[in-house]
Amino acid sequence: MALDIPLIVFTVGLTIASALAVQARSKEGEDGTRTMLDSGLVFSIVGLISSGWTYAIHNSILDSGETTMCASKGLVQCGSVIGDPDWNNLFGIPWGITGLLSFSLLFFLFLSLRMDMHAKWAESFTTYSLLAGLAGLPFVVFLVFVELTQVEGAPHICPFCTVAHLSLIGFLIVAYVVRERKQSGMWA
Amino acid sequence: MARRRKAAAPKGRDNDVRLMAALVTFGVTSMILMAVMLLAPIVKVGPSEGELAPDFTAQAYSGGQWEDFRLSDLFNRSWAPDGDGNWILVQYIDTDCPYCWSEGELMGQLHLQWNQKVTFITVVVELEIQGHDSSRDEIEGFRDKTSFDGCKTNSNCADRPGNPHSWVYIDDLNARTSGDWELPGTPFSALLQPDGTVAWNPQQPGNHPDGEEMEGALQRLVGDS
Repeated sequence: MALDIPLIVFTVGLTIASALAVQARSKEGEDGTRTMLDSGLVFSIVGLISSGWTYAIHNSILDSGETTMCASKGLVQCGSVIGDPDWNNLFGIPWGITGLLSFSLLFFLFLSLRMDMHAKWAESFTTYSLLAGLAGLPFVVFLVFVELTQVEGAPHICPFCTVAHLSLIGFLIVAYVVRERKQSGMWA
Repeated sequence: MARRRKAAAPKGRDNDVRLMAALVTFGVTSMILMAVMLLAPIVKVGPSEGELAPDFTAQAYSGGQWEDFRLSDLFNRSWAPDGDGNWILVQYIDTDCPYCWSEGELMGQLHLQWNQKVTFITVVVELEIQGHDSSRDEIEGFRDKTSFDGCKTNSNCADRPGNPHSWVYIDDLNARTSGDWELPGTPFSALLQPDGTVAWNPQQPGNHPDGEEMEGALQRLVGDS
């Protein structure tokens, strides 16, 4: 599948988030924590937008039976994954909406921390961020399993779904490091 | 006298920033949702008239082997009113339900009359009623009118009124589709336009001429057979 512009944009977003996380590890104190929080924010924004994109693909497939927003043939494609009526929703809610709501929560937690790193609730928010990220992990595992084994004509890999999955994994790693920093006194 | 002061730890802001963070999050999410609506508007899916019929995949029986079936494969999304394309009649039954048993004859007559313009599909569910246990053998017996004890609870399928049916029967004994279709009971039928939009649902009588049944709906919507 040829790389298309949205996929390039998402890849750039993930690269920026990862680069910020790597950079943050070499910085100490408040500066490092702030950069780490920025990394988590970028991961969550990439997750938000990619979830929105998969929801748009979902609507597009429903509307016309096909989509120009992603390939619908081959191993790497969205049509057979997002277009599969048995697997494209969670209790009737499209996965794109589930992703939007989940990444909104992660974004809110990290944005709050970024806006006031020294608030009384900061420590609990680092814990909530880690727990919220962990809660998403089983869904990522489940969805990858579905892509590879359950959808029509499996295995398939949905590139935009994968971007959302990588965003969550990236966020989770950052949330873990952020919590470690808070608990080990490297916060500021 | 000078007093030593311990260096104070950094303090948080006086105002709680979480409300502001929540508003920003709401704004960002709303903007993304609005962009999605512009790119690909939401399609209403459901069994109500005007909605896109809920899609499903299941195993289907047409007289030979059980095969994969997907409802939306029948849809012609580029269909325009008065254009070519088969309408779709989706009927839900339980092979043990007495009303479904007697409707078998009517369905056969309707199929004989309309099969050139309408694709018939019968989805078989198993209602949670004592004695309503079903199986693929029973579905085959009901459709083909072959000898199998168990249709209409304790009747032989070969005694079903009407002729054997020649259209596709779907196995939904696990009730995977009945939720999306908001199945009120059996038998239940809905008529879909060739593009998959629900055109007639007997649960919405206010939208139809008084007392309109399936045959009347076919006549009114599909036209002369």
